[in-house]
Amino acid sequence: MTAVADRPHAAAAAPPRSAFGAAFDKGFEILCFSAATFLLTALGGIVVSLAIGGWPAFQAFGFGFFTSAEWDPVQEVYGSAGAVAGTLISAGLALLFALPLSFGIAIFLVELCPPILRRPIGTAVELLAGIPSIVYGMWGLFVFAPWFAKHVQMPIMMSAQPGTLWEKITTGVPNGAGILSASIILAIMILPFIAATMRELLLTIPAQVRESAYGLGSTTFEVVRKVSIPYVRTGAIGAVMLGLGRALGETMAVTFIIGNAHGFPTSVFASGSTIASTIANEFAEATGVLHTSSLIALGLVLFIITFVVLALARLLIGRQANL
Amino acid sequence: MNAQLDNPPETAVLELPPEVVKLAIKDLSFFYGQKQALFDVSVSFAANAVTALIGPSGCGKSTLLRVLNRMYSLYPGQRAQGQVLLDGEDMLSPRVDVATLRARVGMVFQKPTPFPMSIFDNVAYGVKLYEKLSKAEMANRVEDSLRRAALWDEVKDKLKESGLSLSGGQQQRLCVARGIAVKPEVLLLDEPASALDPISTARLEETIAELKRDYTIVIVTHNMGQAARLSDHTGFMYLGKLIEFGETEQLFTNPVTTRARDYITGRFG
Repeated sequence: MTAVADRPHAAAAAPPRSAFGAAFDKGFEILCFSAATFLLTALGGIVVSLAIGGWPAFQAFGFGFFTSAEWDPVQEVYGSAGAVAGTLISAGLALLFALPLSFGIAIFLVELCPPILRRPIGTAVELLAGIPSIVYGMWGLFVFAPWFAKHVQMPIMMSAQPGTLWEKITTGVPNGAGILSASIILAIMILPFIAATMRELLLTIPAQVRESAYGLGSTTFEVVRKVSIPYVRTGAIGAVMLGLGRALGETMAVTFIIGNAHGFPTSVFASGSTIASTIANEFAEATGVLHTSSLIALGLVLFIITFVVLALARLLIGRQANL
Repeated sequence: MNAQLDNPPETAVLELPPEVVKLAIKDLSFFYGQKQALFDVSVSFAANAVTALIGPSGCGKSTLLRVLNRMYSLYPGQRAQGQVLLDGEDMLSPRVDVATLRARVGMVFQKPTPFPMSIFDNVAYGVKLYEKLSKAEMANRVEDSLRRAALWDEVKDKLKESGLSLSGGQQQRLCVARGIAVKPEVLLLDEPASALDPISTARLEETIAELKRDYTIVIVTHNMGQAARLSDHTGFMYLGKLIEFGETEQLFTNPVTTRARDYITGRFG
């Protein structure tokens, strides 16, 4: 090592390199390669062990594991459809709430915010991202859920006409814990990620491009809609998918507030479960082989869903980049 | 008449006869926060003529352009004092709607700034903000603008392709087409050829010479030859002040002020 340290700037200098230097470089190459392959190995290992662990469940229920929403540890009957639906619905709703809010925050910060407010709001967004999810869960269960039940759920349920579709999708126990509450908490959790990424993206737009749009007489809204957002759409899709990925896998906060009822969620106020919340709730108590195996199989399903979301994002980004 | 006067004036600004004036600046000062960038500039731009603004970097010529369409108002802390009279109406008055002003005073920037949309939509973008045109009318307007910007022949078969797919010179002419499609009265050009190769520059200059028939054009340029070739009037600026303004030929062959003479003969700048 000293040979290298003694002449730190001598890379191109005349004296021939020692054999040690060449060997060291080879070693360095191997180290970097191992670091990269380690990642692949770990990924492959996780997939394989999930598949092996979940095999008894797949064997016992066959394709029914994906289509059935029945999850009954007493009868030892397990199907993933309920948890999958809960996961997709809560994450989808969360994205629906978070998207306009976070775009609004980002656009306000970049285009409209008076400089004196820029730092406080920007910092608040970043702080929101730093709150641990267990804190969101507690706050959601003890503070948000009761308030939500009293001021949102009850009025909506009372006003719904019996027999209508609206009544159907809004029935539920008025305790504030359910799919919709979980979605709202999830939305608050993923909002800072999307907002912060969008802000960074909007800041990359050259000033002259924005000025050109303003120079034609556009209003702020027209500039944002027609020029700014299209300009960053590739990155924006990435930001949204990042948020969606987090919403799909979020465990603690959702476990607190989603109500943890198995089966297909029938209304937005009904208790439900997601894949992550089911695993978190039951893994410690799973005694039977089939129960444990079904939970592992659930994990594999979540992995596949996340993978598909990421792949779709890649596909979208690839297509946009060609434009 | 030879230039070497015994007592050359500090500044020499030609007053244009009021009937030819389209745009007039009166006692304009401009501030970036605390820093003053323009000092009591007064100058007039004639209708259907090209006026060039020259001067060393940082002399305030681009700043002057940014005041004319109130582009500075996007940025808090930048402010202007004085008057900018377009057809006699003060454009700096808060009563004037800034979007309407910018539709009347178009601008093309130093670097091409195509929007992330098709070539056709780039040109149609500004028009759609102000006019409801039928499809055929819009197609005509787009074609006409692209023809005037000397770009039509190169893009007529690929109007649906992204504006970003064009070369730098084509992109800049696209931006000119976009600027004239909204039929502004004044066109501001901020070093429009500085990022272009000589052939693209020549085509752009032809375009500008053509456009003069319909528009009042103000061009900021570092290229003295370009100013001499293109413009009817030239203003020389230095350290935020307008030093000399006059007929281009007179200013380039027989400048009155020492500073303008030094700059034009290449003694500094």
